[in-house]
Amino acid sequence: MTATKTDAPVTTASDEPADATAPVGSARSERLSALVQQHGALAVLVLVSIVASFSFDSFATGDNVSNMATGSAFLAIVALGMTFVIVTGGIDLSVGSLFALGGVLAAWGSRHGTLVALLLPLVVCGLIGVVNGLLVARSRLAPFIVTLAAMLGARGLMLAITDEGANTYLIGKGSFLAELGQGTTLGLGNPVWITLALFVAGAVVLRRTRFGQHVYAVGGNEDAAALMGVPVARTKIAVYTLSGALAGLAGALNAAWLASGVTILGNGMELDAISAVVIGGTLLTGGLGYVSGSLVGVLLLKVIQNIINQIGSLDSSYQLVVSGAFLALVVIAQTWLGRRRQLV
Amino acid sequence: MQRTTSRRPLLARPVVVALAAAVALTATACAKTEDDTADNKQSETAAGAEQKVATPKAGGETCTIDAYGAEKIDLKNATVGFSQSEKEANPFRIAETQSIKDEAKKRGVKLLTANAQSQFSKQISDVQNLLAKGADLLVIAPLNSDGWDPVLQAAAAKKVPIITIDRKINAEPCKDYVSFIASDFVEQGRRAADQMIEATGGKGEVAILLGSAGNNVTTERTKGFKERIAEKAPDLKVVFEQTGDFSREKGQQVTEQLIQSKPGIKGIYAENDEMGLGAVTALKGAGKKAGDVKIVTVDGTRNAVQGVVDGWISGVIESNPRFGPLAFQTLDTFTKGEEVPQDIIIQDGAYNADNAKQDIGKAY
Repeated sequence: MTATKTDAPVTTASDEPADATAPVGSARSERLSALVQQHGALAVLVLVSIVASFSFDSFATGDNVSNMATGSAFLAIVALGMTFVIVTGGIDLSVGSLFALGGVLAAWGSRHGTLVALLLPLVVCGLIGVVNGLLVARSRLAPFIVTLAAMLGARGLMLAITDEGANTYLIGKGSFLAELGQGTTLGLGNPVWITLALFVAGAVVLRRTRFGQHVYAVGGNEDAAALMGVPVARTKIAVYTLSGALAGLAGALNAAWLASGVTILGNGMELDAISAVVIGGTLLTGGLGYVSGSLVGVLLLKVIQNIINQIGSLDSSYQLVVSGAFLALVVIAQTWLGRRRQLV
Repeated sequence: MQRTTSRRPLLARPVVVALAAAVALTATACAKTEDDTADNKQSETAAGAEQKVATPKAGGETCTIDAYGAEKIDLKNATVGFSQSEKEANPFRIAETQSIKDEAKKRGVKLLTANAQSQFSKQISDVQNLLAKGADLLVIAPLNSDGWDPVLQAAAAKKVPIITIDRKINAEPCKDYVSFIASDFVEQGRRAADQMIEATGGKGEVAILLGSAGNNVTTERTKGFKERIAEKAPDLKVVFEQTGDFSREKGQQVTEQLIQSKPGIKGIYAENDEMGLGAVTALKGAGKKAGDVKIVTVDGTRNAVQGVVDGWISGVIESNPRFGPLAFQTLDTFTKGEEVPQDIIIQDGAYNADNAKQDIGKAY
């Protein structure tokens, strides 16, 4: 049950030695291909980055890399929560609105001190997550509809706090909160370190704890999990709460970075987060996924955007076409692989 | 329990995805060359359509390169970065970007462009990218007025002067940025109110389709309109205000709600043409005839001016998007070490039933 990423596929090899689609019997090549498969998105990321750094002078510069890292950090935190939700077979469309709400709450709360500024978004967005979870788990409503309602509601709440978005609350320059968002440690922005710490914690929780096992179990087969005594409802409530709270935290950190509670943020962010999670190898149907993959997915999206910018002269409409095409190809490749997997 | 155990190792996967990446990259390369050839055809601007500076206010604050703390460079050898805020789906944005590109070409200046696709977080990384790619000067059309700290800090560290066009950045002029070039949006609101008063006879209920939140354009166009109404036509009541996000679909949607909740509405003030055109579609859908509800809009796009000719729109206040010549002239003056005004306000025209037909060539 606590199989690590690398040894899981090896068990596969020993379980099904006679396989038609991959007739290679050697354990070593099995292990190698398993490794490559597990880190497919990572391989693409590395490849694309290498190509880009040879093609564009300003791609592999310290400035650019650190900008990309900071720019990815906020989406990555949202994608982390989304990974848990998707592994249970759910979806959370409210994260974009919660991200915006979290930012506004942090900026509004910053006048009452750093603690309020950080706790307020966590608590409010976490509570909205609890409501999402309760409706999904106890009332058995479809996650898509529940979180869509939360998405509209949370944005409305944000607009209410800001007078229809006309008021932007600012975070004082030089305050601890601004320093948290804008300061750097060892050359990378503080949000990047916070994100990395959250991902390490997230990976440990998902792979090494009883709760993590429950998350996989619920997504793999809900009925079977319930029969085995897994607390299905409690697990679902927990993942939506986690997703809401992380979206709020990401919004708060982003507000700290921008030094203001910008109201127009987070539109369509839920789709970016879902894309990143799916690119990272997590199945939308649940039961399978990795926290590390989602981080790679976010970075891949960011790198693609950066490359499009590096090209520079591309028309804005073409930029959309290119990012759309890339995403489609990645997902097609994955579906194809998924189908092959089912044939076995 | 984890499906990991049944997952099949497949060497093919990264290959396929890598192929996808390669295809995507090739596609961009093709698009690039097409884009370049398209640029050779400079958009033709009708005579008299270029931006004119409104009489500069005497004693207005100015800025010099010494006061700003940057170093003099020759604009001809400089690289200018331009960051556009919204998708180029709206004529204002198309004309604005084209004007910047044309002027850069005319002056032989190397131009880098980026488009934030209406996503603020993208605009921040866009500008950081432009800086990383070696832009010596920046022209920014900001999506939002706040939240520019990371960009301003990065630009300050590299001593790159910034000019903002059409919307403002809430920061200190001549320290965080050099100058702001735009129309007087409060005045546009006032002039729109004048047109509305004329069209409705100064009586009845009117609605406002607000622009997107969080920028100075929406606030100021609303302020000017309401001030002038209160001052000149107290019998004209603003009974409905809702945001249409500067987009046609949203403008149409909001107007549909408006017609249902306030069937007796006499006038609609749309804070840009796109929302106004959306309102026209909604009114047509509701079976209204041209002129039943008086519409006044701001921008001066070709479709809106055509709407005036057709009688659906009563008046259009121009907001000239052709920032190229003025922006580059300001950069030129500034980089030579001479002083430039901190606020450069341009003069805008207007279209109504009297001049729409002959002046439609000036519209964009």
